[in-house]
Amino acid sequence: MRIAHQVANAVFVKLYRHLPWLASGWARRRRFVEGQDIPWAPLTKPLSESVVALVTTAGVHLKSQEPFNMDDPDGDPSFRAIPSDAPRSDLTITHQYYDHAAADQDINVVLPLDRMRELLTEKRIGGLAPFVYGFMGHIDGSHLKTLMERTAPEVARRLKADRADAVVLTPA
Amino acid sequence: MGLNQRAIEAEGVPTIGISILKEVTQKVRPSRALFLRYPFGHPVGEAFNVQQQRTILLDALAGLETIAEPGTILEPGYRWRRHRFE
Repeated sequence: MRIAHQVANAVFVKLYRHLPWLASGWARRRRFVEGQDIPWAPLTKPLSESVVALVTTAGVHLKSQEPFNMDDPDGDPSFRAIPSDAPRSDLTITHQYYDHAAADQDINVVLPLDRMRELLTEKRIGGLAPFVYGFMGHIDGSHLKTLMERTAPEVARRLKADRADAVVLTPA
Repeated sequence: MGLNQRAIEAEGVPTIGISILKEVTQKVRPSRALFLRYPFGHPVGEAFNVQQQRTILLDALAGLETIAEPGTILEPGYRWRRHRFE
């Protein structure tokens, strides 16, 4: 079963690569947790004085950290805290549900850390938060509950402890 | 990704998410989004295209300051591999 699942995945990743418009069909078929009221927190100071954090669901983590679990068809709801100043060579991507060939060459296409550092140098942002939080995305089944009740709120609290004034999120 | 975003915003930290699937963003309803009709794996553009990545990131950051209506999805309309970033 696991092999069949992985083969099916590989086929879809190739299909989406060559026929990207198929993705909206996937989005229509797949169930998503639909939002009701929209949580809202205003930016309290200018960007040039704000500490900004990045969060990604593109499967990025340190090579020294445990890879995301790709054997579970419902995904992996855990997260990895990655120091924002980690050298590029220490980062890797574990995610079989999208083609990350471009991101393997240049991580900035999914996690624009170099661009953030440039904006910090130019004082367009006030600071870069000490950690990036990496998720895998593609969460389904019972893991949705874990994500919504445990890991996502935990990262939210950590971002607050990191003194992040704003967060930019990037998908895969 | 929108669920993570909603959790962070609920904790009191303003967020903006890049979206490459508008249908999903419209369902999940995060506070602020920047939509690009880009393929999976390229939310911030193409490898080594610094100007493109920078523009997209600056657009997202600007959204944190300019969006006043919860649920707003910005659409700069940069066409994949067609738009020239200068």
